[in-house]
Amino acid sequence: MNARSQTFELEVEGHQVDEAVASIFHTVLFHRSLGKFSYKQEGSYSVGTVGYEDVDCDFIDFTYVCCSSDNLDRTLKEKISGFSEALRGNDCPGSGQISLEFFQKKKTRWPFQPECIPWEVWNLRLELVKLNNEHERRLCRERVGELLAEKILYVAEVMNRHDYVPKMPNQSELDLIFDTTYPDVQPYLFKLSFTTSGPPSASVGSTVKKLIKETLSF
Amino acid sequence: MYNGGSRLPLCVEISLRTVEGDCMVLETWCVGVLPEITDPSVRVTYTVYNRMGILLKSLVSVTRVTPAYKLSRRQGPDSYVICYRIYVGEPQFHNLGDGYNQVRVGQLSTPVGTIHLSVAYRTKMTISPQHSKDTSIMLKSDHFTPDFSPKHLRSNNSIDNSSLLSETLKVGAFADSVRPSAKDPPEVAEVPFSRLLIGNNQQQGVSPPTQSPISPPPTNQLQQQEDTDNGNITPRPPSVASHDDFIMVDLKTPFAGSNANTDLGLFYRECQSAPPLQGSGAEEPTVAEQVGDLTRQLEAFESSLLDYDNVITSICNPTVDNNN
Repeated sequence: MNARSQTFELEVEGHQVDEAVASIFHTVLFHRSLGKFSYKQEGSYSVGTVGYEDVDCDFIDFTYVCCSSDNLDRTLKEKISGFSEALRGNDCPGSGQISLEFFQKKKTRWPFQPECIPWEVWNLRLELVKLNNEHERRLCRERVGELLAEKILYVAEVMNRHDYVPKMPNQSELDLIFDTTYPDVQPYLFKLSFTTSGPPSASVGSTVKKLIKETLSF
Repeated sequence: MYNGGSRLPLCVEISLRTVEGDCMVLETWCVGVLPEITDPSVRVTYTVYNRMGILLKSLVSVTRVTPAYKLSRRQGPDSYVICYRIYVGEPQFHNLGDGYNQVRVGQLSTPVGTIHLSVAYRTKMTISPQHSKDTSIMLKSDHFTPDFSPKHLRSNNSIDNSSLLSETLKVGAFADSVRPSAKDPPEVAEVPFSRLLIGNNQQQGVSPPTQSPISPPPTNQLQQQEDTDNGNITPRPPSVASHDDFIMVDLKTPFAGSNANTDLGLFYRECQSAPPLQGSGAEEPTVAEQVGDLTRQLEAFESSLLDYDNVITSICNPTVDNNN
């Protein structure tokens, strides 16, 4: 099965990385999380509520909504700060990509691990920019905020296309679809991964993009 | 919720109102049902429920990214407040200004129709001044209260008692509150001669400007003023209408002296009348007399035309004159 994927590109300053990534991924996870299921008897369950809260960014003029789940937030933060540190490290080329991948597990025969099948991937490609003064920094705050707003609108658009999501499982197969480790929220199974070198396809993509841009500029 | 009757969407309009009373519509949310597009195959209990949840999450997420959200976070009682209006009907996008953005947040097919949710938001955040109401600066001023409107004053004071009026006047903004009463006599003293001219102009209509009346010598001021008050010098009736106008103008002069009957009124009268001839003496005959015997003078001049010719000839030919 082919997973559908969305890719965003952003130019941000170093200290904006964490918030930029968190705002998009939290918005995606907010859409991809349900309330906790509680089973009464086979074939019957009730769904809990999903709380949400606003998060104001410190380094971007932006506010986003995320699930009010400390554990989920912690999971996301840990991974994002790993990416941020790698991206802002001394030996980094200044660009990188972090991905949020939703997958479902498929049971295989013992002794093998269950197979993980991705069904939706959100890629965020970041490029670091250097700013010289506070004026540029202020403009960057606003610009990144506007760009993130566009991304959020796009996320909402994609979410409401109602493309494939895994079928609602039976109680016994619940954790093949959902991450049931969180006490207050039940997101689809997801994992975060990042790379700071940038996949080879990225350079091809940007070259094509550059070509298109140059063609259009005439 | 859905009764199959109303096909009109439900709209929520978010607007900004400043302390000055200016209003600006920021965004309009619109949720509606299209009953003709149905999807009988979807399961209500799972699919519709779940997708409705997603639509609501999108709604919550998108509300945070519109310009109105940022403005709403900065609202306050001394700057502006955010208001809302809910109505059923077609969304009114025209009051969002030029270049507004329209975003389809999501739609959801159900067995009874398709629910759609969209938002249109303003992108140009300039308040146009055309909506200013009774609270604008001009009308806050006390210069234009009904009690001091020219109409009111004229109806109450049909007789020309401008001195009384000037006492009841409000002092104009920044005006000197002390009335320069000492200046009154000389300024009023010039008035009769203007009236004299006006009267002559209107009666005869042909008075040449060079024969306009005489400005009085300073020593005669008091005497002249008395004459004016008695109405002895000139007939006044023709100029009454214009004097009524003076009153109207005089009363409403911001930044003017407190006695409104002096400066502007005088200036107005001076403009109406021709300037007084500077070089004339007090002993010369009046205009009426001068103009009256114009015909006689002309006849006399014509009769002595030959003399004039001789004079000119003698000037042009001084040698001949000398020889004679």
